[in-house]
Amino acid sequence: MRKNALAGWLLLAPALALLGGLVLFPIIYNAWLSLHDKHAFLTVQTFVGLRHYVYFAHDEEFWNSFYYGVVYAGSTMALQLVLGIPAALLLNEAFRGRNLLRGVVLFPYVIPTIVAVMLWKWLLNDSYGLVNHLLVTTGVVRVPLAWLGKDYIMWSLVLTSVWQFFPFVVVTYLARLQTIPPELYEAATVDGATAWRRFMHVTLPQTRNVLFVIVLLRSIWMFTKFDTVWLMAGEGGVSRYIRTLPVYAYARSFTYLQAGMGAALAVIMFVLLLVATAVYFRVFRQEEALA
Amino acid sequence: MKRPTSGHPRHVSRRRFLAGSVAATAGAAVLARAPAALGQQVRELQVWHTEVEPQTVKTIQDTSIAEFERKFPGFKVKQQALGWGDLNTKLLASLAAGNPPDLTHLNPFVTASLHTKGLLRPMDELIRALGESDIHEATLKLQFFDGKYYGVTHAIGATYFAERRDLREKAGLKAPETYDDMLKLAAALTEGGRHALQMPGEKLYMGFVHPAEWLASNGGAWVDAKTWRPQLNGRAMLETLEYLQKLNRFMPGGWSGQKYLDTLAALATGKIAMAHLSGARTIGYIERYAPDTMRDPDHFQPMFRPRGPSGQKGISALDGENWGVFTQSKYPNEAFEFLRLFYKKEHYLQYCHTVPIHLTPIFKSMIGDPEYLANPRIKKWRSWHDFMVTGLKGARFLPIGFSRPEDNLLPFLAELDGSGIVADMIVEVMVGGKPPKAEADRAQKRAEELLAQLGFKRWA
Repeated sequence: MRKNALAGWLLLAPALALLGGLVLFPIIYNAWLSLHDKHAFLTVQTFVGLRHYVYFAHDEEFWNSFYYGVVYAGSTMALQLVLGIPAALLLNEAFRGRNLLRGVVLFPYVIPTIVAVMLWKWLLNDSYGLVNHLLVTTGVVRVPLAWLGKDYIMWSLVLTSVWQFFPFVVVTYLARLQTIPPELYEAATVDGATAWRRFMHVTLPQTRNVLFVIVLLRSIWMFTKFDTVWLMAGEGGVSRYIRTLPVYAYARSFTYLQAGMGAALAVIMFVLLLVATAVYFRVFRQEEALA
Repeated sequence: MKRPTSGHPRHVSRRRFLAGSVAATAGAAVLARAPAALGQQVRELQVWHTEVEPQTVKTIQDTSIAEFERKFPGFKVKQQALGWGDLNTKLLASLAAGNPPDLTHLNPFVTASLHTKGLLRPMDELIRALGESDIHEATLKLQFFDGKYYGVTHAIGATYFAERRDLREKAGLKAPETYDDMLKLAAALTEGGRHALQMPGEKLYMGFVHPAEWLASNGGAWVDAKTWRPQLNGRAMLETLEYLQKLNRFMPGGWSGQKYLDTLAALATGKIAMAHLSGARTIGYIERYAPDTMRDPDHFQPMFRPRGPSGQKGISALDGENWGVFTQSKYPNEAFEFLRLFYKKEHYLQYCHTVPIHLTPIFKSMIGDPEYLANPRIKKWRSWHDFMVTGLKGARFLPIGFSRPEDNLLPFLAELDGSGIVADMIVEVMVGGKPPKAEADRAQKRAEELLAQLGFKRWA
């Protein structure tokens, strides 16, 4: 018995070592680093305890970044659902060209982020962008709008992100839709349920679990999204208006060169997401129990 | 049990496939390391620089590198041309890993920071060999700390306005001397769908390079010389912020989201009358995008910066990175040898001619050398070259990010730039329309906190 257990642990050892080295160690090291004053490229570090955390509690930039992060994650996630679920419902219907459309809808999700962002920045450019050209020539606006300027940069970012990531919702939701037994819809139709009622009383309850996962994953991913946000305005002055927490953490580590403070921000993000996820799970379970 | 074999003649078993793959990989690895395996030592001199134009890269390869590799047969030089932003990120990573390049370009405002951390090697011997007295005063002592030289500028460029001279003259106005003149000119040049000017939206420029110029042009400085206390809410900056808020009215609404190169394209294509950040690279844009009949200095001219109400003269940034050799460099001696070849006259002239005027020689004897001036682009755009010379003579240039010459001793300019504190202030005042005083106070507080965190607080 003991021999078997030993063999079991030995077989598990590579996986545990990988997990420990690639997941646990970085988290623990990051937490340890957050308690130090550490220059980004010098080896010297000084223990400062919780000083960085206390600093961020009063740091206006931190709260601005938190606010922008919530606005960005919240709005992109909601819009991805608003766009993704109807698209999945549509692609679940039988019509000519459906397979082609299912392939096309994946396109934004499979192209590299740099291409997606450059494409949208080019389209939205206020000097030579196609969007402004169309708006001006059709008389919708008189002068080109500064889509990449202070007033619209957040919405340009949201637009780009929703375009890029809503296919994930489509594909995931569609996969679940395809497994709903057709008898349920037939029975509902026989009972005289309209399309809307079929959606509310058959589709939604059946897809409840997958929606839970979609909202959870997309919220986490959008809250921690770095590349799209950075590419949109990372080195630009206007980045101030879309500086989310991951971007601020990056800046603290690699442009302020304060690696300890960057690590503290990463820990704060981790804890925030952990708490939000726990609350979300609890609410979902309570609702499930009520249902 | 023996597996049944397929009847297909080209069937390859999985075991054989795996064995073959392993053998091929091992063979490739041995071949790649062949010189080392054969006992011949191949050493690589890593050289990083910021001149990314293909013709410049090729010229370095064909001149300095070719001669170096002939002289040092055991060496191979690997050059990497990187943009500023990329270079800084890559340098940071290499320093953190303890494996920096042997030789690299550095910005003067980064050099002091690296020097104080003991990361740079002195190069007095090289400077003397190149001709200490022949190196232009504008660059000679930029990396001079504790009585030693820690860098040498690769070439001199400058930043300034590029203007549509024809439009200004048509409006009957002279090149502006003061902030007020500039506002009048901007108002006169804004008409129809054209804006008077555009600033680059990159943080590095609008949040660091230009603010240093504004401070220098208005009698201010980043920090107090003795205590290093930031001066972001001092008179020089406040007057500048008020000027900028007015100037913003004459710029396209989305300027803060556009890049430096966008502004050059906008100038060449007539969308704006003045590009705030320009250098001799602008000529390339003019020759490519301006209407055929306008690709000349009669239409496009450089223009000096105006001075503020508290300043003596307008100051522009001198764009000239310096070569630096790290204490951790693997082959420092060879790096210095490479530099001797780089500055050899026939190599150096070819290098400077790859982007004429933008790469003005650092040697006084060469700036007016007929051989240098014989380049066709310099001949055509001679007024741009003369403008450079006038600026150098009149001390109108300070190194990038410097508000005064002594800023080369400040070890925190890289961090101040990286923090974006000044950029945030400028954007909030210009684009956000916020009150200059409140934003300046906020920036001052953040800058004080930053310097304190970095251990540079000397004030009470």
